[in-house]
Amino acid sequence: MTSLLLLLLAPLFSGSIKGLKAALQNRRGPGLLYDYRNLWKLWRKDYVWPRPATPVFLLGPVAAVLGPASAAVVLPVLPGVSFAGDFLVLVYLLNLGRTFQALAALDTGSAFGAQGSYRELLLAALTEPGTLLALAAAQLASGELSLAGLAHLDASNALVYLLVLVALAIALVAEGARMPVDDPTTHLELTMIHEAQVLDHSGPLLALYELAASLKLLVYVSLIGLLLPFPRVLAFALALVVTGVALAVLETYGVRLRYLRVPDLLSYNTLAGILATLGVVLRLRN
Amino acid sequence: MATYLVAAPFFVLFGQAVWALVSRSPRAPLPWALSISGGLMLIIGYPAWLRPGSGAVDATSGFYLTLLGLLYLALGPYLGSYLEHHHGGRARLEASLIPVFAAVMAGITLAPMGYRFLFLWETMTLLGYVLIALDGAASVNGSRWFFIASRVSGGGLLLALILLARGEAIDGTLRSLVWAGLLIGFGTKAALFPLHMWLPRSHPVAMSPLSALLSGGMTKLGLYGLFRSLTWAGSPPGWVGWTLVVLGLCGAVYALLRGLAEDDYKAVLAYSSVENLNLLLAALGGYLVLHTPLFLYAFFVHQLAHALFKSLLFLASGALPSRSLSELGGLWKTLPRTAAYTLLGVVAAAGLPPLAGFLGEWYLFRGFLSAPSGSAGPGLLVLGLGAVALASSLAAALYVRLFGLAFLGSPRSRVVADAQDARRGTHLGLVLLAGPLLLVSAFPRLVLGAMDAPLFPVLPMFAAVTVAGAGLFAHLRGRRRSEYGPWDCGYGAPSPRMQANGLGLSEQLLKALPLVQLRVRSLPARGDGREASQVHVDVRDPLEDAYEQLGARYGRLARGMQRLLQSGSLHVYLALQFLALVIVLVVIWP
Repeated sequence: MTSLLLLLLAPLFSGSIKGLKAALQNRRGPGLLYDYRNLWKLWRKDYVWPRPATPVFLLGPVAAVLGPASAAVVLPVLPGVSFAGDFLVLVYLLNLGRTFQALAALDTGSAFGAQGSYRELLLAALTEPGTLLALAAAQLASGELSLAGLAHLDASNALVYLLVLVALAIALVAEGARMPVDDPTTHLELTMIHEAQVLDHSGPLLALYELAASLKLLVYVSLIGLLLPFPRVLAFALALVVTGVALAVLETYGVRLRYLRVPDLLSYNTLAGILATLGVVLRLRN
Repeated sequence: MATYLVAAPFFVLFGQAVWALVSRSPRAPLPWALSISGGLMLIIGYPAWLRPGSGAVDATSGFYLTLLGLLYLALGPYLGSYLEHHHGGRARLEASLIPVFAAVMAGITLAPMGYRFLFLWETMTLLGYVLIALDGAASVNGSRWFFIASRVSGGGLLLALILLARGEAIDGTLRSLVWAGLLIGFGTKAALFPLHMWLPRSHPVAMSPLSALLSGGMTKLGLYGLFRSLTWAGSPPGWVGWTLVVLGLCGAVYALLRGLAEDDYKAVLAYSSVENLNLLLAALGGYLVLHTPLFLYAFFVHQLAHALFKSLLFLASGALPSRSLSELGGLWKTLPRTAAYTLLGVVAAAGLPPLAGFLGEWYLFRGFLSAPSGSAGPGLLVLGLGAVALASSLAAALYVRLFGLAFLGSPRSRVVADAQDARRGTHLGLVLLAGPLLLVSAFPRLVLGAMDAPLFPVLPMFAAVTVAGAGLFAHLRGRRRSEYGPWDCGYGAPSPRMQANGLGLSEQLLKALPLVQLRVRSLPARGDGREASQVHVDVRDPLEDAYEQLGARYGRLARGMQRLLQSGSLHVYLALQFLALVIVLVVIWP
């Protein structure tokens, strides 16, 4: 249920961020529904096959969409599947998509694809421990191991939840390839992270990749929404709006971090994860 | 009847060993002997694991017999065609020693504690040493590492078993001493950090089927020994569990970072074995600290999964034309079958969801999550979650690098064109490992057996991901496309040398988590500038340097001792023999 919702919403979300950014930059934006039209246009096109490529070249976009789409099944925004330890499955299904995307980028034999792959894998290795620890801390603080059993933010768990929100917000910009970690609108290959991996994918393959990128963002947005002290759907909508506005503002007024400084930012994610876990283990209350 | 059945696989294997020594065609029945004994071991072991107490062996032996049986079953046909180009005395020796090695490994899982166990254990290490060294001059150094490690392991084990064999009540310092001996003895064989140094040096230099047997099978016997020790030596003192958890988690991360700096394809696989074994040891340690069965589920599920996917990867590596990653690339085009099986192994080894590699990690995470909150001691084990997460994302990076460099992109040297894909026998061997791996991934209850473990909807996830993935893939494959060169920033003539090389792919990870030191040397362009300038990166590992210094110091000491002991004087020899006799009498005196 939730994956269907996220699949339908993903182009709207990325489209409205584009629109918002345009408004902030005094440009006339392409309209909220632009990404639907764009995906449809790309989907109908033929695609280009780089000569050294193998079937892995196609598995990349396929897994990139399947990973977040199947991960969203366990998100309880709408009622769905729920079991103890489901947040672990969610994180690892996201990894499935990322791993195949990195492989597909290496498959073209181009220098830029490889560069995007190792950069993304570095970011992943630096983000994953903190993100998992933060999610685990939220679960332990709620006393349940399934995402559906997550307690809302309240006075008793505020300290832990705030740290978890920090960790998830950093994970969102790092994994979603947004500013200040990565710039989705860059046209300079040397500075690309996510975009460098998809340089050789065109037509329907690019459509899948674009869908996957915004789907992944939405998965993180839903995770943030689950922590907020409102009914599920309302909290999701609120998280959607807040994240969208925050990203648009950040990408208009902020600058991108120099790539070698990104690990410094991600260390706050790890730190927040560790502190949140310690907060639960040592029963710290504010 | 049951006893005869248990003896049957050993008769088959020893029969082959004798046949190989006397017959004109020593190798002919080897595939059958290995496969039949493997099948028999499955028949004996699997029911015992599924329903404890029903078979002729107990559940633990049943599990390891099943694991080894699956391996032997696949190894039979593979060896049959792999050894075809070996001739003469070497072929005879291999056809005779491999079955004995296999039989001894299976025997270890059945032997009672004491002399018989120790005898089989030492025989196994000795045979392993000889079999590795058989592969020629290049493998002698690696086999020497194997031998040294087996002496360390044997020493620890001897100490522990002698103390245990006295049969007295063991407690206090003595119990700690026994467990220290067991940890060194079995831990060395299971590559417990920092006693793992021998594994990445000896496993890759052996021939591929033997690497599979060593990494997939033999190292598991170290884990078997530690698990068995819980019944042999009673519950361990508290520090044992903590040691295993801390060293295991550190070792897993260390092994991956070290593997990311490696250029040898099989050494990367060996470092990944070190990682998996250390995670398994951490699982056992977690069980000892927290006593939750979740860690045991992780321990058993991941052991079987690792045995299957690592053997698959090692067997598939037998078809590679070179072991050096800087010479490979684009192998998918020449070795499509090998590449497909390797990809399957890679997905499992990177711990990605629809395959069984993820399930063990899931149980491991669940185990760490079960640490009691509110207590500073065991509660801190929750942080182990972060270490496992780091290890699994590094493992993904390691395997992306390995597979990407070897099988994807364009060939980096000429050797790639001459590679030959898996033929009938080797192909059958790969199928026999890939099949059980997929089966276990879809139906994990097959491994969990009698254990009543919590599980997530594995089958729906497996089916959804594979069916939807295959459908989308097939659709994209059928779409119209046009071939073109890769983009490469608009550059018209990209060459294979412009692809990232081994260290290029991992350099930034190695700098962000600085465990090994990288030193970059650049050689300027020579002559008229037509020859390109070259960049060399040296990798230095402080831990390995420390080991080498230790080794050198030990060597000096040993040479001094040798001069003292082997002085040529009969009096000294007689005195030494007398001394040994006195020591033995003191130890065994009732």
